[in-house]
Formats: sequence, structure tokens, C-alpha cells
Amino acid sequence: MRDLVVLGGSSHPSLTKAICRNLTIEQGVVKSVKFSNGETSIEVVDSVREKDVFIVQSGCGDVNDTFIELLIMIAACKTASAKRVTAVLPLFPYSRQADVPHAANKTGAPSISHQKDSYTFDSAPSTPRPLSRAASQANSNSVNNPIANGSGTINNNNLKQPTPTRKLPFVAKSIVTNSAGTLGTVDAYGKTESGYKQWIAQNGTLIANLLTTAGADRCITMDLHDPQFQGFFNIPVDNLYSRPLLKHYIIDFIPNYQQCVIVSPDSGGAKRATSIADNLGCSFALIHKERRAKVAKNPPSTSMSSSNSVLSLNSSEVLISGQQTPASSSGQMVATTMLVGDVKDRVCVLVDDLVDTSYTITRAAKLLKDQGAKYVYALVTHSVLSGDAINRLQKSSIDKIITTNSVPQADHVRHLGTDRLEVLDVSRILAESIRRIHNGESVSMLFDHGW
Amino acid sequence: MMTHSQNTIKLVAGNSHPELCKQISARLGIELSKVGAFNYTNQETAVAVGESVRDEDVYIIQTGCGETSINQFLMELLIIVNACKIASARRITAVIPNFPYARQDKKDKSRAPITAKLVANLLQTAGCSHVITLDLHASQIQGFFRVPVDNLYAEPSVLRYINENFAREDIIIVSPDAGGAKRVSSIADKLDVNFALIHKERKKANEVSRMVLVGDVTDKVCLLIDDMADTCGTLCKAAEVLLEEGGAKEVIAIITHGIFSSNAIERLNNSKLSRIICTNSMPLEDKLERCSILETIDISPTLAEAIRRLHYGESVSYLFNNAPA
Repeated sequence: MRDLVVLGGSSHPSLTKAICRNLTIEQGVVKSVKFSNGETSIEVVDSVREKDVFIVQSGCGDVNDTFIELLIMIAACKTASAKRVTAVLPLFPYSRQADVPHAANKTGAPSISHQKDSYTFDSAPSTPRPLSRAASQANSNSVNNPIANGSGTINNNNLKQPTPTRKLPFVAKSIVTNSAGTLGTVDAYGKTESGYKQWIAQNGTLIANLLTTAGADRCITMDLHDPQFQGFFNIPVDNLYSRPLLKHYIIDFIPNYQQCVIVSPDSGGAKRATSIADNLGCSFALIHKERRAKVAKNPPSTSMSSSNSVLSLNSSEVLISGQQTPASSSGQMVATTMLVGDVKDRVCVLVDDLVDTSYTITRAAKLLKDQGAKYVYALVTHSVLSGDAINRLQKSSIDKIITTNSVPQADHVRHLGTDRLEVLDVSRILAESIRRIHNGESVSMLFDHGW
Repeated sequence: MMTHSQNTIKLVAGNSHPELCKQISARLGIELSKVGAFNYTNQETAVAVGESVRDEDVYIIQTGCGETSINQFLMELLIIVNACKIASARRITAVIPNFPYARQDKKDKSRAPITAKLVANLLQTAGCSHVITLDLHASQIQGFFRVPVDNLYAEPSVLRYINENFAREDIIIVSPDAGGAKRVSSIADKLDVNFALIHKERKKANEVSRMVLVGDVTDKVCLLIDDMADTCGTLCKAAEVLLEEGGAKEVIAIITHGIFSSNAIERLNNSKLSRIICTNSMPLEDKLERCSILETIDISPTLAEAIRRLHYGESVSYLFNNAPA
């Protein structure tokens, strides 16, 4: 293939290598180093003049660092007279935006998570269960109940017990927090002391614009969290799907797959899960997650906060001290999860596009097991597994996780073990889409067929 | 005639240099706004806006610093700018004392990016309507922007420091490289003292091979003046050249941006420099403790005054020659 150059960023070198192997071309050479002051220095070694350049960079690891590196690489190729520059972002950075735009510290992914020895995976308050189920559970707890005991032993035989394979403790990276301490505390409704509702800016359009500004002419990505994201761009965006890949896995490796239940761990992924369920003729279940503000029994006393502000001149200090006052305990959100559909004694397949902190999926798995699911698979396109996600997954009731190598998985496999975490290869889909785009062929057949 | 409603200054602090933000805020008597950036565990940055900035005059203070986090802080700045734009701020000014990637301002090799231009474009894309910076490495970077750029000078503050601390008869101003000759000669003219120049031959970035001194520095206190000190290799070598070859009495370095990356502090401690003075445009963290010869000049009054003048539509050029007390 003439005039085709594939370059790789530092986020996922093995995927770039695999893509080049699939395209049977040599990977273009880029020198990406850091100056001593931390600035990224890019030098494209091979000529890219009048070439069709593809730059592979996944939105993982140190996201901001790799994203700026990508922007600089795009700009470098553009100044070096490349004909067309395509950014290949298997996992699109910032694709998942905070779902609740206020109450930054209370909802969404936590900014700080501590490694714990045991997790409950429970939502608080505990999920309401159907009466019959609760009754049978109560029965099984009683001493002599042959039926309940019998079913209990069957379950134990069928259940594959998760075996701990972890050797090294996984340590979460340190993170930058609000160092100037300008963020005040908010109540359960996301309101600050002055009554202004705190909100979180959505970065989608910005990221799209930054890529265009740097000079990207086209984007390739995979399983975008929001399909609307494509509309943020003024350049063509090819959103590939890992669905054919996941479908093949279900058909080939899950015994009696027609009997299994496809489960969406949240309502946002319902469409994704139903399309797989329809395609395979499987039944479908949905887990509904609800976040509500815990209603305080006693409203926070106004006298306390006003006296604070009189005493201290620095308002940020007031806000910090206010955090410790018992009155602020009302600023808590409670999450409830509910299962819609029947999973009793069935094999469940949780389908999601992105697992980050793994809160949603581990909670969903617990709920499924509580409702009598026999075996829980988790099919996930992008496994970022940040914070203490690996430890959560290890201790969770998910029996097997199947993911793709859209972000590097070597570390995750080492911690979770190959029998717990299976990795599917997306380099062929990406390589084929690059080949098709380069040759001006249609990409849409990749949407339905795996490669 | 249409009249605009009154608006106020909103100061937004990035995470790169909280101390400078607090100093500027104290100087202006304006509290920092409840807008802040934080990272999720997956390292993506989010900005929470805790007060209205609608139709306000927003100033975001973020300097380019951090050996491992310079890109993180750049992204953070872009996201904060964008957040303020979404929040309908009337004008967004990025206050960037040390402009990141300022040294990558030309295509010095084949297929090398002009990253300073990229950063300029990114800032404008994010929604910047004005930029305030300090001692740009190359003032031509102002031309990379389509929005106004106010390039402030640390020179007035440096001049005051020199006047307060040295006798004019004893000193000579030295430029550690040819690129800084213009900056240094301007200071020498204003002080009415002589100046010398050190010519260096570079083979690789951040590495200096040989130095040649031009001018007479015998028995003088040499003031090495530069816009930034990164690994400090140049400064330390220059000090040696001045003392050994030139016969100088003492060598003192005065710089604007103290980056001090990698082992700069160890180098300074082992060098022949008797003092090094930099502005607080960069966070110095524990470097002041680790390096006994390091001193700072407070630049926050200049930045604060620039913000005030910009807001009230007064001329900023006063600050080019005067340092607010």
C-alpha cells in the first residue's frame, strides 16, 4: 500500500504494532521524548509528505499527557505536509462525561478511591427484593429445609468459585486534586452555600475541536459511549463496533448460549444490550440504577454556618471546616439498583461498553448472583480499570470478564489471571478499517461482521 | 448607544500554582472563584463550576510547570477555559506566566512541530479571548495568536531588585547566550552599566559544549540575566567561565522563570554561583529549602495590576517600565 503511514503514540504501542502487522506494512518511526522540563518533543523520522497518515493513540493511562502528545503528532504531520491525517482512537478520551452534571464530589466516578480489603458491592439502602425470593432465602437460612439445602448444593457445584491469583497489590496512581481549595462543599442537591447549583463542564465538544484544530482530517474510534459524540465533530468520524466480536465470543465460547440472559448493567446501555440479545435470540434483563439525595432528618442548622463565616475571614476555610460538621451528612447520595427481568438459575452475560472504576458492573454482578444467577460473564469493550477497579473485580462475583485490547490489558491480565480475564483482539478491525479508508472503500460492512 | 451592564473580575485558579493564585487574589482583594478542576481516577480532568460567571470578566491563572504534569496542566487550562465559555463568561483571559512549549516555536528540524503555535491555536479553540503572559521566550509567539496577547516583563521588578541590592559601580550585566543579548542590553542601558556576552556552542538541546566570553568582567560582580533556567547547565558553566577566564569577583544569576528541572538544584548547589534569583512565576515547592542560594522576586503585583488594568480598560504599557510596589 503506497502512501500509507501508520504512526503510534506512546499509550498503546503493542496495538499499533499489531495493526501494522495486519496491514503488512512497517510502522512509521516517530521519536517521542520528554524534555527535562516535561514538555513533549515529537520528531517524525520518516517523510510523510503527501502521505495518508494514521496515528494510533488510545485514551488511556495518563489521558491528558497522551492526548496532548497526539495533538502534537497531528500538528507535526500537518506541518510536514501530510496529505491527510487520521486520528485512530480505539478508546476515545473524555467520551464518557459525568452523567449527573452537579454534585461533583458525590456522584460519578470518585476522584479518590482507597484500596479496601473487602467490598460489599451493595447499594445503600439494599435493593428491594421480590417477596418470594426473600422468603426462600429466609428458609434456606433455617436449619432443616431439604429443598432449600438441595438447591444450595447444586448451586455450589455449578458455581465456579473465583480463585485469587493476584500476587502484587495493585496501587492506584496519585491524582491531581483541587489544590487551591476553591471548590466548596455542596449539599445533596448540588447546591453551594450561596444556593448556586454546582455543575461539571462537559468536555466532548472541546476535545473534538482540539483534534480538529491540531489538524486531524478524520477520526476512527470504537464503541463511542455516546453516539451523539460524532455530531460534535466537523470532520468525518468512523465509529466502529466491537459487537460482532463479542457476538462471536458468545456463540463460540458460551455453552448453550441460547439459554443465557443478556443483561445491561444500567439503563444507558440498554440499547446496546438489546441489539445483541435480539441478534442472538436470547432473553434480556436490565439493571436500573437510581441516584437520589438522602433526605436529612434535621435540616442543617443555619446558625452554625453563619457563625462560622463571622469567625473566619477566609471562606474556603469555612467550607473545609463545614465538611466535618455533622450537619453536612445530609449531602449524601444513595444509589439503589433494581433488576428488571428474570435471571434465576440462568447464565448471565453483562454487556457494557466501558468499565472504569467497575462500581456499576460489580454491583450488577452481585445483584445478579443475589437473584439466583448461575454464572456471570461480563463482556466489556473498553476496560480502563482505574483506581481500585482491579481489586474490586477480583473480589466480585463476576466469573469471567471478556474485553478487548482497545487499551493495554497486559497489566490487568497479570493481576486478574487469564482464566478470569480474556482479551479479544481489535487490531484486525482497526487495520481493516484503515485499509478501507485508505483505499476509499466502504467501512459499513465492518459494523455487522467481525474481522 | 448600547450600554453594558457592569461586570466584575472573577479569578479562577488552576492547580499548577495555587500560591501565586492566592497572592494575586490577595493583591486584588478579590476572592478566588468557586471554579476548580479535579481528576477522576481514570485521569480525565473535570471542572466543577460552583458560582455563576455569566457575563463576567474571567481570569484563569495557570502556569506551565511540572516535570510530569505539564501536559496535564495544559489540558486542565483548556478545560477550564472551555467551562467558562460554556458558562457564558463575557471575556476569558488566560494568565499564563510561563507559557508552555514556548521554546518549540520554530521548525528547527525536518518534521518537527511548532508546538507553541499549536498551544496558541488550542487556547483559542477552547475559547480564550485574551492572554496575559510574562517574558515570552520569543516575543514572536504573540503573532501565533489571533487574540490580543499582553506580554508582561519581569524587567522592572528585576531592575528594582538590582537597584536595591547592588551598587552600580560594581556590577556588569552578562547575557549567558546570544539570544538574550537584546534583553540584557536593555537592562544594562537602563542601569547605565556595561554588559558582556557569553557565546555558547550547542550540539544538542540542553547540552552546551563550549563557551566564549565577549567583554571585560575583571573584578566585577557579574549579573547573569536570562528569561528561564531549566537544567541550569548554561548558568553553571557561564559562572565558571566568568570566574576562571574573565576574573570576575562574584557571579549572581537573575532569571524570570525558574523551571529547575531534573538535577538543577544539585547543580546549583555545586556551582560557583553565589546567588540565584528568580521570580515566583513557577511553583518552587521545596526547592527554596534544598537550595540555600535561591531567592525569589514576587511578580504577583505585576500580574495583579495587569489584570486590574485590563478589566478597567486602562493601558497596560505602564507596567513595561514600572513595577507596582
